[in-house]
Amino acid sequence: MSRKITIDPVTRVEGHGRVTIHLDEYGQVKDSFFHIVEFRGFERFIQGHPYWEAPVLVQRLCGICPVSHHLAAAKAIDQLVGIDPKDLSATATKLRRLMHYGQVFQSHALHFFYLASPDLLFGVDAPVEKRNVVAVALENRELAIKGITMRKFGQEIIKAVAGKKIHGILAVPGGVHNNLTEAERDYFLDGKEIENIDTMIEWSLAMVDFIKGYHEKNRKFLDEFARFPSGHLGMVNEWGALDLYDGQLRAINSEGDITLDDVSTDLYQDYFSEAVAQWSYMKFPYLKQVGRENGWNRVGPLARINVCDSVPTPLAEKARTDFIAFTGQKVNNSTMYSHWARLIEVLHCAEMIKDLLHDPELMGNDLIRKGITRQKGIGIIEAPRGTLTHHYEVDEKGMITRCNLIVSTTHNNDAMNTAVKWVANNVISRKGTITDGMLNQVEVAIRAYDPCLSCATQAMGKMPLKAELYNYKGELINEKFKN
Amino acid sequence: MKNLRTEKAGTLLVGIGNSGRKDDGLGWKFAGLVSESANSFIDCEYRYQLQVEDVLMTCRYDKIIFVDATHEVLEDGYELKPCRVAPHYYYSSHMQSPETILYLAKELYNKEPDAFTLAITGKQWGLGTSLSPEAERNLQKAWSFFEKELFQHVRITA
Repeated sequence: MSRKITIDPVTRVEGHGRVTIHLDEYGQVKDSFFHIVEFRGFERFIQGHPYWEAPVLVQRLCGICPVSHHLAAAKAIDQLVGIDPKDLSATATKLRRLMHYGQVFQSHALHFFYLASPDLLFGVDAPVEKRNVVAVALENRELAIKGITMRKFGQEIIKAVAGKKIHGILAVPGGVHNNLTEAERDYFLDGKEIENIDTMIEWSLAMVDFIKGYHEKNRKFLDEFARFPSGHLGMVNEWGALDLYDGQLRAINSEGDITLDDVSTDLYQDYFSEAVAQWSYMKFPYLKQVGRENGWNRVGPLARINVCDSVPTPLAEKARTDFIAFTGQKVNNSTMYSHWARLIEVLHCAEMIKDLLHDPELMGNDLIRKGITRQKGIGIIEAPRGTLTHHYEVDEKGMITRCNLIVSTTHNNDAMNTAVKWVANNVISRKGTITDGMLNQVEVAIRAYDPCLSCATQAMGKMPLKAELYNYKGELINEKFKN
Repeated sequence: MKNLRTEKAGTLLVGIGNSGRKDDGLGWKFAGLVSESANSFIDCEYRYQLQVEDVLMTCRYDKIIFVDATHEVLEDGYELKPCRVAPHYYYSSHMQSPETILYLAKELYNKEPDAFTLAITGKQWGLGTSLSPEAERNLQKAWSFFEKELFQHVRITA
């Protein structure tokens, strides 16, 4: 008998998705899909608005990564006023970078401590009651407090430069609207009122040590779980080093061969196309020259560590070389190594924040530059979850006529579907039954990509957890709800 | 800038929602009314959704009022209820409930402020910055109640 198993929505991802696994009459997996079924509307919503509103409006896409959307939009809008990244003042660039590193730091910390750590601490077979922040807090109080404190530190960085932690405004067309005061800077350095940046680096190092030790103890599972070949995409600077704020696009295939050779972000349309599927509102980006079947790429921490030649801060670079030495591979295609890569980036961000806080140009007064206006602007940054593209076109009055957003989770669409297929084939197929532990492994595979479905679909809302079971005739024979 | 380690007695009102999603902006609108009131003795914060680090914020106050829109059709258009500590959690990841925030405050920081939820009924949830007429009426009803009960220092107790 053919059955369809539905997980709806996937837990502990932002927004709502739905997984269906189709079994044939022998209980073998016939097919599986990670559906995104919410309607995308933001790209249309923003049309007709003046361009200078975009960096503010796009923050409403998501409460988790508003800073990433703000900065990607700002980079695009800079171009509409004739300012390329190299033309921005040093003060404006460094303030934006500080905000960005604060965002990535707090986002990665949240993901590790509260979304990934339940899987790591309690195991993928743990009962659903344990796979949450409350269980982490009860069983490891120190870890929970560190997680909250690191998250708060990043949020305070954002608040210091943008005025508030969610939907704050730093960037304006051609620059920033305020600098950092000495008192605001010292707040993060002196340790009098909050744990200081040196403590954040110390804790970040401890997290990297923890995850390395965890991999040593659980190597077989972490190496093999949801491992599959794919391309990897990320941004690097002119020396090939990791750069989360600005640079060129680089992609490699699963063997490490270059498939996109440090291309200017302005040219993304020449190299990328987006496929669609009837069963999902989320698009499927791929490299044109490689083709739809093999041209898709993972993005995010693992992809970035795979594509870069180095990390431009000493402690994180040491962590990267340890990571590569551990695996002994040129390219890492194991999904679960995303967590280790994410923690290397946490350390990198902490180091970058410290360097910036000691840079007097943060207090400079050269805030806004102006150039000759244009009618097209493209801004790309490396958001916590991966490469984020904002593309705007305007009419002669500066009103937005076209908006195209390719968010990180969209790039990872194929990767998440492939990860779900891996679990379906290797964990569920031929078992004859579906347990909570099996279903959680589907979610573990998806969670490693830290998907933000609010961003990907530009929709919001609440839904209960819903599981549906269909027989081979398509009749609903069982359903479960979890609020 | 506020000191994370400093205790701060008083009342905090947290508006939860998204002003870009029509009636989902009710929480923010209400917080705006409170913060703009000349008589306000209440600190106001705005949240798209509650997250774990908000535990630290709640630890600094004696009394917390969480304000959010609701789909539920309430008899008066709004409802104020005590908010009890509870270890439940949402499946949609980063979002935490007021009850869980209070639970973590108690477990991790030994703080247990008096807390309430104020739910206001909304009707429209699409893209847009204006409230529906129904939500606007409910907002005004809730605001009238709040002015009478709190701005005249009538104590609410859990």
